[in-house]
Amino acid sequence: MAEIVGAIALSHAPGMTGWLDKAKPEVQRNLLEGYRKLGRIVRDAKPDVIVGLANDHILNLPVDNTPDFCVGTADVWRGPGDWFKDWLKVPDYTVKGNRELARTLVREADKRGIKFAFSETLQFDDNFSVPLYYLTPDYDIPLVPIHMNCVMPPLPSPRHCFETGRAIAEIIRDHRPASERVLIMGTGGLAHDPGGPRYFEVNPEFDRWFLDLLATGDSERIINECTIEKMVAAGDGGTTELLAWIAAMGAVGDKPARTICYEAPPELRCGMGAVVWHPA
Amino acid sequence: MGIQNTDRTLPTNRMIFDVRRDMALYNRFRQNPDPVMDQYKLSPAEKAAVKALDLATLSEMGVHPYFLPQLTRLFHGSADNHNASAALEAYYRSIVAREGVRGRNG
Repeated sequence: MAEIVGAIALSHAPGMTGWLDKAKPEVQRNLLEGYRKLGRIVRDAKPDVIVGLANDHILNLPVDNTPDFCVGTADVWRGPGDWFKDWLKVPDYTVKGNRELARTLVREADKRGIKFAFSETLQFDDNFSVPLYYLTPDYDIPLVPIHMNCVMPPLPSPRHCFETGRAIAEIIRDHRPASERVLIMGTGGLAHDPGGPRYFEVNPEFDRWFLDLLATGDSERIINECTIEKMVAAGDGGTTELLAWIAAMGAVGDKPARTICYEAPPELRCGMGAVVWHPA
Repeated sequence: MGIQNTDRTLPTNRMIFDVRRDMALYNRFRQNPDPVMDQYKLSPAEKAAVKALDLATLSEMGVHPYFLPQLTRLFHGSADNHNASAALEAYYRSIVAREGVRGRNG
């Protein structure tokens, strides 16, 4: 059976690459050190492929037909999307996909009653461009992207996201080659309110609560307490991106998450953090 | 306002979805938004609010919140999207100042 070699989650706010210089020097330093440390954790896990779960930002999943999850099945991905280049200020990049793994996820999920959409033409904005820039700057670890509907109601519930993450891990273990090493990555959050009246504010109280909750490793409690309503109240337009973290957690189950870094810079308009779950 | 208030059928939502994905369409929109808004069958009220960057009204109509700051970038550009940028100043005027919310701390 293939191996889930670990799971991580991190924030992907565009200011992390686009205007990080506006944050306080110590905040810049802490975030850069944290993201580099997480990059070393990724590399030390020696994954053959990263399965990434991230908010789609209503970029690929159309408003008239919005699936909860869309698996990227292409052999190669290019980013960032053209319109997002000025915004993110990351170099153009190419990263391999893994068509066979992606197709396996779709095919086997169907048998479990989970209907994934799939696509070969996903555009990446900050959702994968920011994490890849810091974690795998050589873009040398293949990525199977899974774009999620985290912001267009009705949203998938935390429980559904957790169970989908668990199904992804089970499918990988049961249906992929024994030598394959897979890392699960969730991206998004923490509290932020793009499009709302609190866009210029951050919410460290919620962020700390969430990170402490993840540290319990009690998935049932996390699913029950971190409700859609609580996330929306913490920052309407973006905090529900943490559904991607909950999906990543589903791949490892009842394991405590360890916080690698956390800052809440108003200049980035988003709580910024990163966690790692103990190797699965 | 809020994500729960989104009207997925509102033509403005479909237009912004497409414009960000297609640089040729974006360039046409940037040059002259009127023909693009006509193509997507925006109502007169939607067109007026888009052209005025009246984000609060667009929000009340059911534009997804995530699209509101993106609309400011469609008009003012995306580079250096920090809190003092033209795009964020436009956002602040239309949403934050109008809501009477204070606490702009960045």
